[in-house]
Amino acid sequence: MSLPARRSVAPERARVEDRLLLRRYHEGGDTSAREALIERHLPLVRSLARRYAGRGEALEDIEQVGAIGLIKAIDRFEIEREVSLATYATPNVVGEIKRHFRDKGWAIRVPRALQELNASMSGAIERLTGRLGRSPSIGEIADELKTTPEEVLEAMEVGSAYSTVSLSTGPSGDEELDPLETIGADDSGFERSEDRAALEPALDRLAPREREILRMRFEEGLPQTQIAHRVGLSQMHVSRLIRKSLGVMREELLG
Amino acid sequence: MNLSLERIDLDAPLSGDFQAVVRLIIGGIAERVDFAFEEIDDLQLAVERLLAEAGQVGTVHLSFEVGQRGIRTRVGPLDERRVAVALSDGGGRPGQLTLKRILQTVVDSFGVDEPSDGGIVVRLEKLKGP
Repeated sequence: MSLPARRSVAPERARVEDRLLLRRYHEGGDTSAREALIERHLPLVRSLARRYAGRGEALEDIEQVGAIGLIKAIDRFEIEREVSLATYATPNVVGEIKRHFRDKGWAIRVPRALQELNASMSGAIERLTGRLGRSPSIGEIADELKTTPEEVLEAMEVGSAYSTVSLSTGPSGDEELDPLETIGADDSGFERSEDRAALEPALDRLAPREREILRMRFEEGLPQTQIAHRVGLSQMHVSRLIRKSLGVMREELLG
Repeated sequence: MNLSLERIDLDAPLSGDFQAVVRLIIGGIAERVDFAFEEIDDLQLAVERLLAEAGQVGTVHLSFEVGQRGIRTRVGPLDERRVAVALSDGGGRPGQLTLKRILQTVVDSFGVDEPSDGGIVVRLEKLKGP
């Protein structure tokens, strides 16, 4: 059964459809119902994420953090509740975003203008990559953002001052559900035993999505642009995750 | 790779505090060659991982030979045993994602020079994409 996008139906009907999907997921274990609920409520996440835009992080990154809150809300929702899923999910999404900013914010003090430039770079790189069919040069990014190459380089560097949250790691550090896996990115092959064996053992400390990104980069030899496209993240985010993951692995190897 | 048009030399502390400065300098040099964002990121990652193997104490010398087609970077002298192990697939557990594997992915070629005064110098060559 295919249900329409939530925003296109009347609120009452949407609530009824949500309940139907929640029952299918919670009582019948139907994960496709869960995926449908995520899809239907992503516009809510995007709307809430926009409130936190312009604070030094790319909107798409905030949306991905917000999606974690949405998934938690779907998973924790009790059918007996009288409240709608949208109402229940809103504080979960906002809480996840706020926690992200509080716990994983800028590690060093970075001028606001550079934070904003860093945040806008991600979109500029994606636009230029689509337009040019290749990764853009620093000069091209600077032209796109009407700034200088030096400022773009500085903004790239301040991105390293930012501690990227793992999209699969909750605030407690426990591995939790990865929204991107749920939404349907192609993870085929990741669980193949030969791949897992090839990347053992330090990779075990990483979240599944980060392991998959490393596998694509260093086993398949895919460029960041293709990895970003496959996993639905920005190139800058992929770059940060690769850096962070290699650092984590090295710590693990050093014991 | 014949690309020696300009040369930049840098002595940097190995302390992690200065790695950001090294990355910024690499970015600035690579921008002059019109490297793409992704190519700059690759070269920065290669040097960053190499420095991570070099430890946290003392200084390291980096040289950049800049040509129209790319950049040749030399890093060292580095502690021979530690870096040799890191650059050898055989030095780690089977299938481990080693420094060698990382360098093979992010630069076009790399090698090791052995200066007379001990240690080794790692040479990284990164070409500009088409």
